[in-house]
Amino acid sequence: MRLEGVGRRYGIGGPWVVRDVDLDVPAATLLRIEGANGSGKSTLLRLLAGIDAPSAGRVTGRPRTAYVPERFPPALPFTAVGYLTAMGRVHGLRRAVAARAAREWLERFDAGRHARTRLSELSKGTSQKVAVAQGLLAPAGLLVLDEAWTGLDHASRALLDEAVTERVAAGAAVVFVDHDPRRLAGAPDGVFRVEAGRVRPVAAPAADVALVRVEVAAPAGTALPAGLPGDPVAEVHRAGTVRLTVAADRSDALLRTLLTADPPWHVRAVTTLETNR
Amino acid sequence: MTALLRYQAALLIRSHRWLGPLLLYGAFLVIGVRSGEPVLDSLGVAAAALVPAAAWLTRVCVTNEPSSARDCAAAAAGPARAHLAAVLTALLASAALGTAVLPAASAGLVAALACALIGVAVGALCNRPLLRSTAWAVPSTVLAVFLVVFAGGSPAKAAVNGLVTGSLSGTVEVPLLPLAGAAVLAAGATAVACAASARRGAER
Repeated sequence: MRLEGVGRRYGIGGPWVVRDVDLDVPAATLLRIEGANGSGKSTLLRLLAGIDAPSAGRVTGRPRTAYVPERFPPALPFTAVGYLTAMGRVHGLRRAVAARAAREWLERFDAGRHARTRLSELSKGTSQKVAVAQGLLAPAGLLVLDEAWTGLDHASRALLDEAVTERVAAGAAVVFVDHDPRRLAGAPDGVFRVEAGRVRPVAAPAADVALVRVEVAAPAGTALPAGLPGDPVAEVHRAGTVRLTVAADRSDALLRTLLTADPPWHVRAVTTLETNR
Repeated sequence: MTALLRYQAALLIRSHRWLGPLLLYGAFLVIGVRSGEPVLDSLGVAAAALVPAAAWLTRVCVTNEPSSARDCAAAAAGPARAHLAAVLTALLASAALGTAVLPAASAGLVAALACALIGVAVGALCNRPLLRSTAWAVPSTVLAVFLVVFAGGSPAKAAVNGLVTGSLSGTVEVPLLPLAGAAVLAAGATAVACAASARRGAER
């Protein structure tokens, strides 16, 4: 699939959320998309998944696509297996195949006992498993994951990592966003950063780089200082608290900048993250 | 498309949100149909009452999914096809409602179909993706329903009038022309809504 000069804005004359995106998404590749909250990552993913049409430019060569959202509020009048079977058919599977795939994926995610539970009664983690299973049911040519790991337990995260690797090996393109910079570290064939409405390639983080997570707080409404050292990945943890993840060798510089900022940020916690390898 | 239609139909049936339009339709029949009056007058009321019921059913169908579930279906099948399936489900449900009440007399049936099509057209234009907020969608739907039922030139009014004048003159014409007009309008309205579903995807 290929995006040529793709832009997206909401409403005629509205500001561009992303623009002039030229992106190749060939088969059998894994792409990671990065960017701060509100940078337009999710909009880019929606364009890639075909949920939104571009306001400018064009998308060509779209394969069969599957999408996994970040949150999956279970307000649907189906059981887990009923919903997955129905979606399997929408993904183009025959009824028997869809029903079997639905059961298999629920079993794989250790949610087999919830197969007959209504979606509205599932826990948050289990409904996220249903959302992930929905994306993996059918052999899609393009899989788009918008923070699909969020809310999953440790074993399911590892399982999703494995499923993604399998899909790429089987020839699918997978595009993902995740707030954990070590997610599938070393595996992506390309990493792109969304910033100020533009999408630019960045160097993939090395798999074995040591990372430090800094939790900082400031009065509500305080923006993070621009140009922080080490280009940290920021996520709003709770209201007023931001988690920054940065390479260990830049963490001191980052802390210094935050403490001397105006208004200063309060450091709540500093944690060294284990490396994957 | 069959899979999407099954999914939407299951959603509609299990959500129980068809109860509102059904009760509304029943209420119109109770108020409007009186024994002792000419049959064709009653058929006219039964057909005209399908317009608001079909518009409401369309609202139910196009707003039945939470946005995340809609996104999953839109990625799998394309947003326009996903939206088309919702509108078609509403049309099938409205037609089923009409055929359940109106006898197989062809004039009544054709008038009911024309009214169902017009109701779906109103529902398609007055709800998401074109009008997102309930504050706009519901009053516009009510206004549009009044317009298409009572304003001259509307196929729904023409079809209903055909039945009522038929009851006066004693001969009834099958309202094929209004049916064709209603079909064209419904197809146009649905095409506009489906095209907008991808363009206006994430707008809140």
